[in-house]
Amino acid sequence: MPRIVRHLLLIVVPVVAVFAILPGVYDNHLLLFNFIIFMTLAQGLNVIYGFTGYLPFGYVGFFGAGAYGFSLMVMHLQAPPLVALAVAAAAAIVLALLLTPLFRLSGAYFSIANLAAALAVLQVVSNPNLEGITKGPYGVSLNGVFNPTLSYATALAVLAATLALVIYLRNSHFGMALKAIREDPISAGMAGINVVRERVIAWLLSALIAGLAGGVFAWYVSVFYPETVFSVEFTIFAIVFVLFGGSATVTGPILGAVILYGIYNAVGISTPQYFQLIYGALIMGLVMFLPNGLVSLLQRWGVDVP
Amino acid sequence: MLVYSLLAGLLFGLYFSLIGLGLNLVFGVMRIVNLAHGDFLMLGAFLAFWLFTLFALNPVGAVAIAFVGFMIIGLPLYYLLVPRLLRARDPEMLSFILFFGLSQVIEAVTTIAFGTSERSIPGDQLGRAVTAIASLFAGHPVAPGPVELFGQTFPAAWVASSIASGGAVLLVYLYLYQTRLGYLTRAVMDNRDEAIATGVDVHRVSAIAFGIGIGLAAVAGVFAPFILGSITPAMGGEVTITAFAVIVIGSLGNPLGTVLGGVIYGVSYMLMQSYYSSWANLLPYVLLVAILLVRPSGLLGRRVRNA
Amino acid sequence: MVRLSIFAALLASLTATAQAADAPAEIKLGTLYASAGRYASISLPVHYGLKLWIDQKNAEGGVYVKAFDKKIPLKLVAYDDQSSTATAATLYNQLITQDKVDILISDSGSVLTSVAVPIARDHKMLLIDQTGTGATFFTPDNPYIALMADPVSSIWPKPLADFLTHDGPGLGIKRVAILYATNDFTGTQANAVRKFIKESNSGVEIVYDQGVPTETSNYTVLLNNIRASNPDAVVHLGYAANDIAFLRNVQDSGIKFKFLFCIYPGTENELLEKNLGNGPLNYVFTYVTSSQMAYPTNFGMPLKEFKEAWHKKYGDTKVEFGFNSVAGYTTALVLEKALATAPSLDQLELRKAIFAQSGTLKTLDGPFELDPTGAQIGEITPLGQLVLDGDHLKLVTIWPHELANGKPIYPRP
Repeated sequence: MPRIVRHLLLIVVPVVAVFAILPGVYDNHLLLFNFIIFMTLAQGLNVIYGFTGYLPFGYVGFFGAGAYGFSLMVMHLQAPPLVALAVAAAAAIVLALLLTPLFRLSGAYFSIANLAAALAVLQVVSNPNLEGITKGPYGVSLNGVFNPTLSYATALAVLAATLALVIYLRNSHFGMALKAIREDPISAGMAGINVVRERVIAWLLSALIAGLAGGVFAWYVSVFYPETVFSVEFTIFAIVFVLFGGSATVTGPILGAVILYGIYNAVGISTPQYFQLIYGALIMGLVMFLPNGLVSLLQRWGVDVP
Repeated sequence: MLVYSLLAGLLFGLYFSLIGLGLNLVFGVMRIVNLAHGDFLMLGAFLAFWLFTLFALNPVGAVAIAFVGFMIIGLPLYYLLVPRLLRARDPEMLSFILFFGLSQVIEAVTTIAFGTSERSIPGDQLGRAVTAIASLFAGHPVAPGPVELFGQTFPAAWVASSIASGGAVLLVYLYLYQTRLGYLTRAVMDNRDEAIATGVDVHRVSAIAFGIGIGLAAVAGVFAPFILGSITPAMGGEVTITAFAVIVIGSLGNPLGTVLGGVIYGVSYMLMQSYYSSWANLLPYVLLVAILLVRPSGLLGRRVRNA
Repeated sequence: MVRLSIFAALLASLTATAQAADAPAEIKLGTLYASAGRYASISLPVHYGLKLWIDQKNAEGGVYVKAFDKKIPLKLVAYDDQSSTATAATLYNQLITQDKVDILISDSGSVLTSVAVPIARDHKMLLIDQTGTGATFFTPDNPYIALMADPVSSIWPKPLADFLTHDGPGLGIKRVAILYATNDFTGTQANAVRKFIKESNSGVEIVYDQGVPTETSNYTVLLNNIRASNPDAVVHLGYAANDIAFLRNVQDSGIKFKFLFCIYPGTENELLEKNLGNGPLNYVFTYVTSSQMAYPTNFGMPLKEFKEAWHKKYGDTKVEFGFNSVAGYTTALVLEKALATAPSLDQLELRKAIFAQSGTLKTLDGPFELDPTGAQIGEITPLGQLVLDGDHLKLVTIWPHELANGKPIYPRP
């Protein structure tokens, strides 16, 4: 059977099944939900970093835009959750479109500019002058849509769709074009690839994923301050999970998220005062000794990792 | 109100020029994104605090110790981290993450060692140094306290840090343009590959630049308790972003650019505080993005790798 | 006869063992604290205050629980949320669903408490809110929350506003400047001050009213602008780091405001004195919190004794004694009373027991009084002024008059 279908069955089905069953046996649903969110964000970042080489250090901006897009629809228009979710995705895409000029910049400049943009959005959203619209610094409190079961299921659906997308990218012309652009944009252009268009599409897809994740997050927690949904922690975790697992693959970010977020929670609960130290050292060791991630170990031994 | 904001912005901005100076050098020479820059600044601030608390050493003395001490730390740190990094496929991006990890480690160790409470150094410490210098110039004893400039009064600490900043810029300028090592540094900044080809020991040049960069961060840190109110181990993160805004607005590799960037940032920030105070923190981010989109090479113009 | 008494004794022992068999081996208290990050400095003292009580009780064999008519030891399950709300949310959930704690106690401050409010409500667990004063937490349709140790933000500044509008005009105070940090805690207080002043119709007007981001660390230009508005009184509402930077900038620029109010010189006295010294704090008005004022108590240690116990236990840690230490201990005292009077450990029964204390319990934090939604309205902090007496600062209570022990020094010399 075609590779895509095989990978879909091998990866998406088990992951979805596991996270659909776990809430029945493990009561801390919020933790499971966070696992789903981080896996989704890691894959979203994978789309842009793994496949095009650009590192959006302000990736959380799309997540927050999605969360606030969802919240504004619910607070002001009493929209049903799925409609609000669509608006969340749209908000993230609009922000991404606004930021496309940043692609003129290279590497580090792009990352810093993206970070600054995300922080700027946070400042705007949390300003007390906008209290009437976004509730400013006093935080959002959504009434009437609280539904942990449905929002969990939706998050799982978003994750499944994201995984399917990445599998598609991995096995399609589009994905190969992106990788070519990453390696050498000039040669790729000469080979007939529309560099700008392909990159923008990947960028928008990446933002869409984060926006949906943000919307579902807002739905599930229903009470949050601006700093919560624009926290740089989300970007950092997504980047580290992708790097640890291995970028430009499907399984890499999943492995990275499951292992590292699992460690984060285990360490955080048992030896909290050394937690930041351990995590920082882990990140440094990762970059120094395993920059291509866990799956690179497997690839070195000849295993073709999806 | 306007005149005060402009003058205050000038002085305040010069301090941020000092912060950006070290970062400029590091990024310009190695294209390494030192996300731990603010944390080295924090370490310099704590050094000054402990030197004052334990040995009653005036912060002015701490400046020299901070610079030399951190420069000595910077050299082996460079050799430990960077050569390996440069061999990877995507060193610029990986440096981002590596130095972020470093900043987390520094912050964690400092928190474990010193706790999270705010610390300060009494303001009159720097004041005494300023009045000592002022007395020398004026020929007669000058009273301690706020300094008067063009009819407006400013805290003595601001004047002191502006003087230090000016001095640091001058020294870096002299280093880059009057010494052989600085000449080689500029060569590496211009085009690393060509420099290697012509036999320049790029690692040595970079290591020294890295050491100087961190030393400058620590020097800026010595003034931090006075300019930024109080110090905590977590203060580094936001300082780093602002420092990037400053060097991007100016331009890379040129110390004068950093001065310009700092002044522009300082003046705009003070004006924002006066007229649109709740939006003041939005400013550095907007400036950063705007400059990068409109004039990516910075205001003083220098070639920037475009995608 | 003997047989009857043996039978009675057997019956009694049977019921006793039956009751004892019902009793849990320990009462599990679940809470969070922040050991690092933005809120660590207000979180750790609260946590330590709570722990002090726990250790004290366990040394006595446990806390008396009426539901089982015996003393039961306490077990504290505490996790570190690193000042992150996302982590805190997961951890609160962990406490409820995995650790199955008997009593859920929030972390310190509105931000880290906010995420617990819907979680506690969803799981039908009473949230023992230590110092989270956000007015939005307390709504008539949510019974699962009670505020222990801080007055709710919307009435906290009433003593300040009342002084300015009642005594103020007589002293010559007509123009007030307000500078606040834009976050939930201080923003709500600024709204309250504004509201109280406007509603008072006392002729006091607000001539400067600006919000600045909470990360602001430099006030020099702002101070210049405040001075230009020629105020008779200046009110600064910010967190401890803001107060430190603000007061230091005031001193550095040589400005002397006739009346200056800041929150934290009263709330975290040791921390501010360590950072600023006596000079900048002289003549500053602030809240007289329970760590500065010895309230008459009818339960638990009074202030002097508690302070001694604290310094004995935590004197060589880096955690300062201040109002937040008292807050943690106050929470503990309310819990002790609740456990001693509630007929079972059911969450709503505990709530009833806590509300029964409202109006009667007097601790070192002041009179405990809750409004029907669970917001604290009793432990009001009076207005006071710090005055240099020799080489240390004395806090003189100014308002309300019934509690005052001195006259305000206005304008400052």
